[in-house]
Amino acid sequence: MSGKRRVAVTVNGTRHEREIEPRLLLGDFLRSELDLTGTHFGCEHGICGACTVILNGDSVRACLVFAVQADGGEVLTVEGLGSVEALHPLQQAFHEHHGLQCGYCTPGMLMTALDLIRKHGRLTEAAVRAGISGNLCRCTGYQNIVAAICAAAEAMQSEEPAGDA
Amino acid sequence: MKPAPFAYAAPRSVDEAAALLAEHGGEARLLAGGQSLVPMLNFRLLEPALLIDINRIAGLDGIAEVAGGLRLGALVRHRALETSPLIAHRFPIVAAAMAEVAHLAIRNRGTIGGSLAHADPAAELPLLALLLEAKITAVSAKGRRVIAAADFFTAALTTALAPDEILTEIELPDLPAGSGWGFAELARRAGDFALAAVGAVIAEAGGVCRIARIAMAGVGSTPLRAPAAEALLQGGALDPGAIAAAARAAAAAAQPAEDLHASAAYRRHLVEVLTRRALSAAVARARKAAP
Amino acid sequence: MREELRPKLVGARVKRVEDPRLLTGQGSFADDYRPAGMVHVALLRSSYPHARLLRIDTAAARSLAGVVAVFTGDELAEAARPMVATSKMKDYRATPMPMLARGKVRYVGEPVAAVVAASRYLAEDAARRIAVDYAPLPAESDPLRAAEASAPLLHEEARSNVVLSREFARGDAAAAMAAAPLRVGARFRFRRKAVLALENRCYLAEYHRGRRELTLYSATQVPGIVRDALAELMDMPEHLIRVVAADVGGGFGGKASLYPEELLVAVLARRLGRPVKYTSDRLEDLLSTSQAFDEIVDAELGVAADGTIAALTAEVVGDVGAYSIYPWTAALEPVQVVSFLPGPYRMPNYRGRVRGIATPKAPLGPYRGVGRPVAAFVMERLIDMAARRLGIDPVAMRRRNFVAAEEFPYRTGSGIIWDRAGFTECLTAVRDALDYDGLRRRQEEARAAGRWVGIGFASYAELTGIGSKIPAAPGMPVNTGTETATLRIDPSGSVTAIFGIASHGQGLETTLAQVVADELGVRLEDVRIVQGDTAGRAYTTGTYASRSAVLAGGAGKLAAAALREKVLRAAAHLLEAHIDDLVAEGSRVAIRGTDRSLSFREIARSVYLQFGRMPPELQEELEATKLYDPQFGTTSSATHAAVVEIDPETFGVRVLRYVVAEDCGRVINPMIVDGQVHGGVAQGIGAALLEEVVYDGEGQLLSGSLMDYLVPSAVEIPPMEVIHIEAESPTTLGGFRGMGEGGTIGAPAAIANAVTDALAPLGIEVTELPVTPERLYRLVEAARGKE
Repeated sequence: MSGKRRVAVTVNGTRHEREIEPRLLLGDFLRSELDLTGTHFGCEHGICGACTVILNGDSVRACLVFAVQADGGEVLTVEGLGSVEALHPLQQAFHEHHGLQCGYCTPGMLMTALDLIRKHGRLTEAAVRAGISGNLCRCTGYQNIVAAICAAAEAMQSEEPAGDA
Repeated sequence: MKPAPFAYAAPRSVDEAAALLAEHGGEARLLAGGQSLVPMLNFRLLEPALLIDINRIAGLDGIAEVAGGLRLGALVRHRALETSPLIAHRFPIVAAAMAEVAHLAIRNRGTIGGSLAHADPAAELPLLALLLEAKITAVSAKGRRVIAAADFFTAALTTALAPDEILTEIELPDLPAGSGWGFAELARRAGDFALAAVGAVIAEAGGVCRIARIAMAGVGSTPLRAPAAEALLQGGALDPGAIAAAARAAAAAAQPAEDLHASAAYRRHLVEVLTRRALSAAVARARKAAP
Repeated sequence: MREELRPKLVGARVKRVEDPRLLTGQGSFADDYRPAGMVHVALLRSSYPHARLLRIDTAAARSLAGVVAVFTGDELAEAARPMVATSKMKDYRATPMPMLARGKVRYVGEPVAAVVAASRYLAEDAARRIAVDYAPLPAESDPLRAAEASAPLLHEEARSNVVLSREFARGDAAAAMAAAPLRVGARFRFRRKAVLALENRCYLAEYHRGRRELTLYSATQVPGIVRDALAELMDMPEHLIRVVAADVGGGFGGKASLYPEELLVAVLARRLGRPVKYTSDRLEDLLSTSQAFDEIVDAELGVAADGTIAALTAEVVGDVGAYSIYPWTAALEPVQVVSFLPGPYRMPNYRGRVRGIATPKAPLGPYRGVGRPVAAFVMERLIDMAARRLGIDPVAMRRRNFVAAEEFPYRTGSGIIWDRAGFTECLTAVRDALDYDGLRRRQEEARAAGRWVGIGFASYAELTGIGSKIPAAPGMPVNTGTETATLRIDPSGSVTAIFGIASHGQGLETTLAQVVADELGVRLEDVRIVQGDTAGRAYTTGTYASRSAVLAGGAGKLAAAALREKVLRAAAHLLEAHIDDLVAEGSRVAIRGTDRSLSFREIARSVYLQFGRMPPELQEELEATKLYDPQFGTTSSATHAAVVEIDPETFGVRVLRYVVAEDCGRVINPMIVDGQVHGGVAQGIGAALLEEVVYDGEGQLLSGSLMDYLVPSAVEIPPMEVIHIEAESPTTLGGFRGMGEGGTIGAPAAIANAVTDALAPLGIEVTELPVTPERLYRLVEAARGKE
């Protein structure tokens, strides 16, 4: 039970096998083992939301899950959402509405927004504010983030059925 | 803020988990949702030698109808409680309160068993367990027992669970038909732990109060019922004067502490206000539901 | 199309060039760099506020597998000179800041020992094994008590905990105050804040043994200041030091100073010959990143019967913490409180005195607005207090006392000069946007229905885009007053523009590209802004003090104009046309009125690759470097208005509406300006209602997590309306004014006034921030007790 364990985690569609300590946080696994540095730590106690990723279909704090718990599971990070050449509708909406300034909270904000939209479809402004209340942003004052998420939710309804990234 | 090293086990059955606890006892911690435990590990406030991850145990996450109530597996996630049609129908107070609990990512992982076992004095689920007079099942290698919610929370972050016991399920007895509920809390920000929270259940018949339950959180080392306040309402008319008197009695029964967010006096004041609001809402709902 | 009519980039809502990488997780924050052989630092920090360090036993830590080395302050004594923030200010006592504590510790969280290990996890394991013998010393946490002669001394050599004092005066405030028909005053308290950028501080140093070069990747706003400091403290020439601030996750001033950990990783990288990284966690951030907005202000305002200001006096005590922040000194914030206190008002008589007191807390440092949020809070509360006593509407009271257009330039009581600012225009714009009379009627109706609704205003003025004639602090070894831009065109026709500023969220890669592209006549996408890297400039500082749009924008304009000249001269030759007939636009140079043109690429290729065939006067690189010094700076101002509702029983406060009208001169990118206002207002609302760094009486930090230090979420921040006023174009090149800090300057004052207005029927005056439900409960109980 002590010592390293072998885990297999599928991240953004690619399966990775590693030997890791049980105490390695999922966020550190992504950043250090897989060089996916898009997921950021802001507090390491679950409050700020910067580290939010999608694990087995649900948004979770990567600072409150150990990588061993994701063994056999599927993780979606911001790197799997879209690319510079092909932005996801959420990323496009943030770009158009100036929904980011320093960009540090942005990956967690995007993954939370994705989960909100998947679970709720269209969102009122109040529902978006409540839905992102667990994602702290110190730069934007939230106004443009809310506008971006409302716009993305709208765009994603007309695009695809709920449940797809 | 990285956790200290620990050994890790992911048992596939309750018996396996119980056996591990029997062997390692106080050196081991159970990991369910982890939303309260892992921050403590990251701050190194706790350094268990062994972490027993019970998330792989099948069959612990059901919400089932049983005679006279609902049975919830310990691994039922907050999110499931929030969205369950059974809960919405039978215990709407739970569905309403869950919306105040933290944030979506926390609710996706956090579990009812974990929340009750963690026993934060300001958390919503322990308050609800007390209010709804839940029955909590604890399993160990030595057997199983059922603990009434009233006996379960013993001190801040402390429960009646022995070091070798796992909380496996919670039974919520149905509320009488026609009863109304109310829930009011004040937190500094959306989703924060409450400075004070009050839940109330009222049943009225023939213009007289038949059932009055008041529970509060954030104003003692455990969630508290307010029996003196409840007694004031029992058998009497549920008018504003009675509600106000019960609210004052509830405030008097609170045992609030002082911290950097609020003084004891202010918390006690909040109990009075929130009790009045919760009772008024419960009475209104009871009257609307009346046949 | 005529040149004057073509669409300009300056003034347009251009989408940001920073976005694609940040949106897709491809940013380069300091912690994202992971060079081979990198090792990690964990720090053991003091658990005492004031104690002698008797013994530090690191043997057990060293023996742990994966540990590379363990260091204490004494072991590193010769590795670098001490950090001392100096100032020529009279009555300032410098207090050197050690890299790791030596001899004694002066605040809970001060670094005591450093472990270097293969991972942060292992380094923390080892740090726990270090045994420290402390001899606790008496400590005084309260600044007023710490100022007394009998208080325990934090720095023996300073001989006092009062480490600075200063006075500004004009006229005869004492006499005018005594003669004033009405005097209002109070002890105002603004409680300590954490800056709390989302990215914790992070420093990664690499030392190349062969080239003896040091490269520091730093989460900093001031790479230039850091480089200068490292060169001096580590005794290295600057051309061997490079500081890179690639992507920085918010700064707000908390990353505008040199930190001991920053020096430490550089020293350790040089000593160990391996890349050394230190990443602060959030607890460390709350313990040791500079804090702000902590003053006690005893202030009094004397007014005539018609509300005209006669005099203002203020005694300010700033709690500056245990050390003087480098390079700004502990004086930075407290002095700005007292120098900006007179605000945008006509004030014939003023006396402001300030003392800075050392206490066992993290050092006080820059945070958005610096001393101006506290100054605005005090002044705007005094204005409202006087208005209420005289029965004058708060809008009218401000209008009556604003410096009027014909009085500009106006010298304030502290010597600051306001030049041509839109004080009255901003106030009027907010009043109109609110439909003020209608709003007051609706407030009356709400009051009649038992609701506690309040309307609050705050007007402020500040200096931005400050040039070399206004020193940030006297004798400070930093020139904050200039910026330099180098623009060059390469053979592909693309433009590189090199600046010394360091963007950390304000979109300077976009706004500076807009300025350069417009001036040079190229497309936005053909411009690449290089910034946040000392390699580009001989002297630079960074981004702070609302300076970058003005100074870097001005330098960019000058350099672009000079480069454009070169391009046109080459094009005139190549097109065989007169230079006056040429127009540069969209990365092409055309002969006006014809269809003959050349692309910048074609021009550049001719110049570089057919160099020998160009006439001698055109044989030059397509490059220009220009420095811009606005000399003085410009006045930025705004009026904020907040509408709040207080629950009459729980005392929870909700902000219902927020309006800002600001005069920020010519706007480069209104989308970015709005974003800056939103963010600053959100921090100001947090400062007014939620945020407080709390130390107990024994100097222990109580607010040690984000459950205790409360930053507003999207639910606590209302939608905000922002109105841009360009009252008159300032004298800065481009007509730009700085505007990044205004949100935090106006918002706490507006919220305080709105809450007071909501409580007016009870006669309560808010004099302390944050105004929490607990504090409101106390105020209401006290007010009711008097009934």
